[in-house]
Amino acid sequence: MATLLEKPVTVAKDHYLLKIKADKSGSLPGQFINIKAGEGFDPLLRRPFSIFNAHEDVLDVVIRVIGKGTSLISRMEPGFIDIVGPTGKGFTMENDKNLLLVGGGVGNAPLLYLMRALKENGNRLTYIYCARSSDYIFLEDEYRKYADELIITTDDGSAGIKGFATDVMSHVISDGKFDRVYTCGPDPMMHRVVKLVHENVPVEVSVENYFGCGVGLCVGCTVDTVDGYRRACVDGPVFDGRKILWENMPR
Amino acid sequence: MNSEIKIGGLTLKNPITVASGTAGYGEELSGYMDISKIGAIFTKGLSLEPRKGNAGNRIIETPAGVLNSIGLENVGLEKFLNEKLPFIKKSGAVAIPNIAGHSIEENIELCRILSETDGIDAVELNVSCPNVKQGGIAFGTDLDIFSDLLRKARKVTKCALIVKLSPNVTDVTSFAVAAEREGVDAISAINTFLGMKINTRTRRPHFNNKVAGLSGPAIKPMALRIVYQVCSRVKIPVIGLGGISNFEDILEFLMAGATAISIGTMNMIDPAVSEKMVAELERYMNEEKIESIYEIIGSAQDK
Ligand SMILES: Cc1cc2nc3c(=O)[nH]c(=O)nc-3n(C[C@H](O)[C@H](O)[C@H](O)COP(=O)(O)OP(=O)(O)OC[C@H]3O[C@@H](n4cnc5c(N)ncnc54)[C@H](O)[C@@H]3O)c2cc1C
Ligand SMILES: Cc1cc2nc3c(=O)[nH]c(=O)nc-3n(C[C@H](O)[C@H](O)[C@H](O)COP(=O)(O)O)c2cc1C
Repeated sequence: MATLLEKPVTVAKDHYLLKIKADKSGSLPGQFINIKAGEGFDPLLRRPFSIFNAHEDVLDVVIRVIGKGTSLISRMEPGFIDIVGPTGKGFTMENDKNLLLVGGGVGNAPLLYLMRALKENGNRLTYIYCARSSDYIFLEDEYRKYADELIITTDDGSAGIKGFATDVMSHVISDGKFDRVYTCGPDPMMHRVVKLVHENVPVEVSVENYFGCGVGLCVGCTVDTVDGYRRACVDGPVFDGRKILWENMPR
Repeated sequence: MNSEIKIGGLTLKNPITVASGTAGYGEELSGYMDISKIGAIFTKGLSLEPRKGNAGNRIIETPAGVLNSIGLENVGLEKFLNEKLPFIKKSGAVAIPNIAGHSIEENIELCRILSETDGIDAVELNVSCPNVKQGGIAFGTDLDIFSDLLRKARKVTKCALIVKLSPNVTDVTSFAVAAEREGVDAISAINTFLGMKINTRTRRPHFNNKVAGLSGPAIKPMALRIVYQVCSRVKIPVIGLGGISNFEDILEFLMAGATAISIGTMNMIDPAVSEKMVAELERYMNEEKIESIYEIIGSAQDK
């Protein structure tokens, strides 16, 4: 049985940090947990959240409140929390490489855990952190800890550079040479990131589409790829960004 | 204490099964539970060739329910026989394939091949699929087409034949009676109710297929009513399903007359729920000193 260790803490506008003690250790960057929001049948389905950070059996997640489920979770009391996971296919690890990470909004969450693991493996990391405005930037210090270079961009210019992550990225890409790129954020952003990366450089994305069961049973979270349909929950959520047929992503 | 039940020539160790489309091919569940503990696994609706399923949105939550429009994505017969079935057999579990052909011929062919396969002792015919050759109306919503399909399926099926009824008709019991007349061994009741969701932002239906199937706790009272009515009209075993979420629900379906039950949508919320329900049943039968599960089956029916 998993335990919510303390009340969810506000870390940015509409964003909360949860600390959860799982019943076993072990998780990989890019994996997610599936949380039951409340006890009854409404909301019925679990809600998936990427692991923001992990220390042995303690998992941190950052949730952005957008509806009924996330609102209930943000107001949970410490104690029992019903989770499935950690599960899903995580990011590819690298050693001693030059790497670029691009996060948009709450999509920055899985990239912190990834960045920590990559740093431990001796990689050099450039991180582009994109948010709507300064109010929405969460736990910036955590990102500063591991990034060799942290570039912040906001849509309205209230923090860092004004503009989208991808505007900044075109400059960063032409200046630096990267061995691999990782991204998580809204689909249009990830699609643009994938298109910007040179074709010889691998680019991994973590999709956050609507999930049904989260364990591969219902085939509801399908992503269309060059290899055919894939279940985001068990075949992903991390995919080779070039294999996804982005124009077929459900909206 | 005996919780065994019989469906045609097939004996299941207990009446708790998992419903087609919500249990994958058993393998997905096996990471969370011991799949040999439950009565049977109804696998995902199968076609002769692999089917891609529907594009666009496929699933969305509703109050206490789920709307799905998966479009019967499945691995196809060959891969099922070579890769999926062996896993279930090796795990010591019972597989009942759900057949979801798009024509009478495809359904018959699947019934024939599957029923001749080693390790398959029952098949379930899903008549809620569109009959593509005859205008796309579901087999299970036209009594003549339904009876014709079952007559032909019965001839070629060498194991127990189960038909899964659609609730999207005026009188489900008339389909149950026709199924019994055509010699099927058991009835599953029911499949999903047709529902809909409109995206108010795009002002368009949420699903490309416009309509979708509603399942989950929201449909339980309707499903229970149908199972009760069907059980009062036929003598063959009925597998009751629709919205079952806890042990109390299971008892209700058994008391309504179902010989076995299936858990569907709730597997998606707790992939170990069916194994937990088997333990609950054991506890209940011990506490209530029930010798055979048949003592409670149909107890709510008028004698
Ligand atoms: C693998 C994965 C990892 C994720 N990681 C995180 C994370 O770390 N932090 C975080 O805050 N969120 C994350 N999400 C998204 C999160 O799961 C959803 O925001 C959440 O389920 C919404 O629940 P709700 O009940 O609040 O919204 P609802 O009340 O169900 O919906 C509110 C509105 O949002 C839309 N919506 C719901 N879910 C999604 C979705 N997945 N994508 C797009 N629109 C949606 C609905 O259609 C509706 O319009 C992740 C999703 C996936 C699949
Ligand atoms: C995602 C999903 C996929 C389904 N796929 C099938 C299927 O392939 N064949 C079938 O006969 N029924 C299918 N069903 C219907 C279920 O087997 C069951 O009849 C229905 O969901 C009602 O039970 P429940 O409320 O317990 O889920 C599906 C249901 C869901 C939710």
